[in-house]
Amino acid sequence: MHSVQVEAPAHMEKPHALALAIWIIRLAAKLWLGIREWCGDSAYERYVQAQRTNSEKVSLLTPAEFYVDRLNRRYSRPNRCC
Amino acid sequence: MVIWIVVALVGAGALGGIAFHRGEPLNATWFVVAAACCYLVAYRFYSAFIAARLLTLDDTRATPSERHDDGRDFVPTNKWILFGHHFAAIAGPGPLVGPTLAAQFGYLPGTLWLIAGAVFAGCVQDFIILFCSIRRDGKTLGEIAREEVSQRGGFIAQLAVLAIMVILLGVVALVIVNALKSSPWATFTLAATIPIALLLGLYLRFLRPGRVLEASFIGVALVLFVVVAGQWVADSPSWAHVFTLSGVTLAFALIAYGFAASALPVWLLLAPRDYLSAFIKAGAIFSLAAGILLVRPQVLMPPLTRFIDGSGPVFAGKIFPFCFITIACGAISGFHSLISSGTTPKMILRESHARFIGYGAMLMESFVGVMAMIAACAMTPGVYFAINSPASIVGATSDAAAATISSWGYPLQAQTMTDLARAVGEQTLLNRAGGAPSLAVGMAQIFSSTIGGPRLLSIWYHFAIMFEALFILTVLDAGTRVGRFMVQELGGRVWKPFARTGWWPGILISSALIVGAWGYFLYQGVVDPLGGINSLWPLFGISNQLLAAVALVVATTILLKMKRIRWIWLTLIPMTWLVIITMTASYQKIFDPNPRLGFLSYAKALAAQITAGKIPAVKIADTQRVIFNQRLDAAVTAVLAAMIIVLIIEALMQWYRILSADRKSVLHETAYLATRWPENFSGASYTVTAAEPDVPAMEG
Repeated sequence: MHSVQVEAPAHMEKPHALALAIWIIRLAAKLWLGIREWCGDSAYERYVQAQRTNSEKVSLLTPAEFYVDRLNRRYSRPNRCC
Repeated sequence: MVIWIVVALVGAGALGGIAFHRGEPLNATWFVVAAACCYLVAYRFYSAFIAARLLTLDDTRATPSERHDDGRDFVPTNKWILFGHHFAAIAGPGPLVGPTLAAQFGYLPGTLWLIAGAVFAGCVQDFIILFCSIRRDGKTLGEIAREEVSQRGGFIAQLAVLAIMVILLGVVALVIVNALKSSPWATFTLAATIPIALLLGLYLRFLRPGRVLEASFIGVALVLFVVVAGQWVADSPSWAHVFTLSGVTLAFALIAYGFAASALPVWLLLAPRDYLSAFIKAGAIFSLAAGILLVRPQVLMPPLTRFIDGSGPVFAGKIFPFCFITIACGAISGFHSLISSGTTPKMILRESHARFIGYGAMLMESFVGVMAMIAACAMTPGVYFAINSPASIVGATSDAAAATISSWGYPLQAQTMTDLARAVGEQTLLNRAGGAPSLAVGMAQIFSSTIGGPRLLSIWYHFAIMFEALFILTVLDAGTRVGRFMVQELGGRVWKPFARTGWWPGILISSALIVGAWGYFLYQGVVDPLGGINSLWPLFGISNQLLAAVALVVATTILLKMKRIRWIWLTLIPMTWLVIITMTASYQKIFDPNPRLGFLSYAKALAAQITAGKIPAVKIADTQRVIFNQRLDAAVTAVLAAMIIVLIIEALMQWYRILSADRKSVLHETAYLATRWPENFSGASYTVTAAEPDVPAMEG
């Protein structure tokens, strides 16, 4: 997303058009990251980061192990409401 | 400040318009504007007041996600994303079904309670319980109640959770049954989501572990395809026959499904269905909001109907207390206190985010309730009553229903119901109590006014039914599984091996127990001649509001211990109100002499009919079962009422101790720890290292 080049429409001043395009792309990227995090798509990356930053642990769960472990935890307490 | 005065004035004007308007139908825009302005003002001022004066939120204090950050349960999460998580967790079928049913009183009482109840009770409960749990390392409501109120208080909270779970699952299953019975299109669509979920489960487990987003895209596309494919099934006589099921068959199918979802590995069926449901739920709610804003439908229901006197066909009972009991989740839901003391406090980044997430998400849920109210009231009142009334009251045919409902003063042609059923691709829309079909008709009418016109009405109707049924199933399977763990935990107190979550006999027995419990309520609802919603939805409302009262008792106790005596009415008034409505509703449901309202008088009336020989011999056994069920419901209601009385006595004793000068009360908060995160830390990346300087500690 950082290397995307956007051509400004002819009727707009270039700096404004570029700034707008960059703003839109950044917003879209933020939204995408937000959705990934909301639905759990980036949970494994988060886990790896957390383990590396906060503990000395060297053995990490594999993506498949982490996925099953996360689901088992999540669905053993109320997480869906009326 | 000027802007806020304008917002407040516009909101007051719109509310006044809704309340005092008579004559011509009102436009739905009035409802949206009134609700939005009230929410904005409440959020800006009331929640800020609670945050600053009542709770004194402290952003220098490390939250559980910082103290225990493990990347699994405790994950520091951006406030917007956590808002999304929290909202997805609290928003269930309740705010859709409750307002739809309460529309039988007219649009006014339900709308006012949805807004006022959320602002002064529901949001306050969610916010304060979230705060209490954050200050206690993410402890659950039961644990907090045990520590802060009493051992017995904690036990009652746990029992209340189990009771509400069983009744909730029974009643939401009944809503699905009433939506799917004799509907091959809807039944096929929902049945097809099971193999789709299994497919996604295998994909996410073995093929691309944890790639939730791409799997969900595939799944949503497949689900949308089966919504359309359902029409082909309904049009093919041989296939339509296979998927045309009676209420009882559907009930047993759901019971079997619930058992499987509870006992099978969670990654195989439960979780992938939940992913599908989350995306479709978010999409459908946004589409409904957009549809209402674009179409701006007329609200055809009068502000008040004649049924405020308690004679309503959808459910019996006067406006007080049954409007409040029926709306339940859209205004205040006890169940939310489990989410606010469950996952959310373990992921919150800063204490101040609790205001946006706790108070704000509940405002949004209330807004969903207002939209459901608009969708229900945008259809002709006659049609609304024809869909939601049981056959024993309005008759089983279009002609009978049209005659009865017209005689109430809500004109309805028999042909209208036949045409509407054909237009949405159903054989009949009569006697489908439960809220889901009438909401689907309302949503389909709004959607088809935006895209597709009348031609797509049937597709939109079945999309709406699928959306409701899909996320009710998610509540059903996730709830059954959590219920299973609760049963295993309780059983483990008697015999230790039972509590082992990996022990197969324990899993099977506890799954069977929990499924059997809600399955019994479901079955009794399906065979109830008055339509099970009449008995079961109030029972669910009572148990839900009871749990909310429990949460507010806990909150009030904690505030007293925090010496916030001056502002104690912020939780004390909603708590008192909930106790009054649950006790009144419980008393009426048990003892009212009207057989449609009182469980015992209904049982007595049926027994008298048997004695008088008015029941044919072949139906005597069935009638005796109905009599037993009514007595059982009366007993369950009495136990729920007794629980809240015991808890209130426990709490009053505790409050007396706290307020009497000679005794020092102990607040069980975790000790103050200063955050090490910089001020702009948003949870997006882990940039904090041990080398960073501490933020100066404040007095805790």
